[in-house]
Amino acid sequence: MRNRFIRHMAISAAIAISIVAAEASAHKLREAGAAVEVADSNVLVTPTRDWNRVSGRIGKNVETWTLDGTQLNDVTFFAGIAVGNPLVKERSKKHEPLPKFTKDTLLIEIPELLEGTYRPYKRLATFEIRNVEPTEFLGHDGILFAYRYSDRDGLTKLGEASASIIGGKLYMITYDAPRIYYFERSLEDFRTLLRSARLS
Amino acid sequence: MVRAPLYVAIGIMLATSTMARTKESPPLPPPYQGVYQPIGVDEIGRWREDDERERILTASPMLIRDETLTNYIKSVLCASVGEDRCDSVRIYVVREPIFNASMTANGTMRVFTGLLLRVRNEAELSAILGHEFGHFEQRHTLNHFKKYRTGTDLLAWGSVLAAMAASLEARQNYQNLELAVYGDLYRYGRDQEREADFLGIAYLNRSQLRPQAASRVWQNVMAEAEASAQVRGLKRPNFSAIAFAASHPPSAERADYLAELADPAGEGRDDGAARYKEMLEPWLPMLLDDQIKLNDFGASEFILENLAEDGWTAPLLFARGELYRRRGNPRDLVFAAEFYSSAVMMDETHSEAHRGLGLTRYKLGQVAAGQSALQRYLELAPEASDASMIRLMLPKKEEE
Repeated sequence: MRNRFIRHMAISAAIAISIVAAEASAHKLREAGAAVEVADSNVLVTPTRDWNRVSGRIGKNVETWTLDGTQLNDVTFFAGIAVGNPLVKERSKKHEPLPKFTKDTLLIEIPELLEGTYRPYKRLATFEIRNVEPTEFLGHDGILFAYRYSDRDGLTKLGEASASIIGGKLYMITYDAPRIYYFERSLEDFRTLLRSARLS
Repeated sequence: MVRAPLYVAIGIMLATSTMARTKESPPLPPPYQGVYQPIGVDEIGRWREDDERERILTASPMLIRDETLTNYIKSVLCASVGEDRCDSVRIYVVREPIFNASMTANGTMRVFTGLLLRVRNEAELSAILGHEFGHFEQRHTLNHFKKYRTGTDLLAWGSVLAAMAASLEARQNYQNLELAVYGDLYRYGRDQEREADFLGIAYLNRSQLRPQAASRVWQNVMAEAEASAQVRGLKRPNFSAIAFAASHPPSAERADYLAELADPAGEGRDDGAARYKEMLEPWLPMLLDDQIKLNDFGASEFILENLAEDGWTAPLLFARGELYRRRGNPRDLVFAAEFYSSAVMMDETHSEAHRGLGLTRYKLGQVAAGQSALQRYLELAPEASDASMIRLMLPKKEEE
């Protein structure tokens, strides 16, 4: 019995250590002034202030950066989503499929694609696309749009995103933050980061 | 002596399980006398927590603050449970596209928009509202809390004793106890749901609405789940199996006993379908939009077909077009264009249908036809949020 107890304790301790270790390396600093590749892709950004790269990816070719934690400001890079893939990894391909980026997807349908992904993925009840405009993104014709939604905690968030379809792949950078205080506060930081993005 | 409570418990369990088989729905509890106040520390605490949640709910961005809609739902509840009872309930319509409603101990009833989209008449709606009211009237949340506390207390003491005994057998006994207690708690929850169902149908039997609708609700739930699974390539769901941790009785069982308990004399009564349809109409585009964006093609198509039983309307056709365009297979686009076209034929001023039609035609390679539909969209909705982007898709000369 004692042996069993010791083994139990050892296993628990090992799990605890691995959790602590994972916590310690959870985020990586992205320092101001250094150009970095995002999401193992050919997208390069040069931050003008320090950002945190969140470890753990929500999808292939997707990377998330934050200043104060993803609940308060979340910049997500979708760097080259290939045809036939969803924006983020599906929790269950069979039971909770997400809409896919297809070869027929038009630039103007990208806000709908993001909405169709956010609603089931973040289990949102409301999502409103507010403003859609043409823009230049990564040196190509792109789309700039703003949106607003209420998340599961009843917190209203605002978002802004720029996207483009380049070489049959979808490139997009989104910024989500709570409507109260945080969105405005870091909007310029996001826009500066966005303007620094280029293809290598 | 110790066994007496056990026999009582078995007696109660047998009574509840046989209740399902009798054809009589149970008698209603006596109506409220005045304003009910919570009694005892458990109930007072529970109500206090619920009051706090209700305060948060009233400020929630998910809440639909529409007096007409809320009053209408209240009137349906009152028509079912009776005027003397329904005044103790406050109804909140929550924008969430799931089939659900819930009730707390202090009288807060949350009605989700997904429920409003799925029921088709007042009788069906009141079957669900009556069920929720049954939970409230029988103090189910409070009783469940007490039951849960007793069960977990037992387990806490059991774990202390098992640790003291320090034998493998004691450990195994404790694990068995854990299974028994949790199994019992889940079953208790399911029995409460059954009891609420029986009460719900009892209210309906005594109302002016058609009680047969109650069973219909669950038949629709099953048919929708089946349609959803079929499109996703999943196995047909089993509607009779009870999982260990299931919170509710299986849908097939509910449909069966509700059909059996419905008063045959009520068959000819009005189900309030026309009134319900009229109330739902202004909300339909929003509810459909929320549903379609869940990316559950089979379920959405099932709901649309159900709503279109008396004929397709422009909002329904538009929603169907959106559903097909969003899935976006080439074959879907052909159908989507057809649905949008029919929608604009019925309602030429439906700007969003022109937009959908334009985009779909564009994707099908019919660029000129697509552009003319988009042009019409901009004429109808020049201030649309995506107007500047749509303008880029139009031929250059039209721009200048």
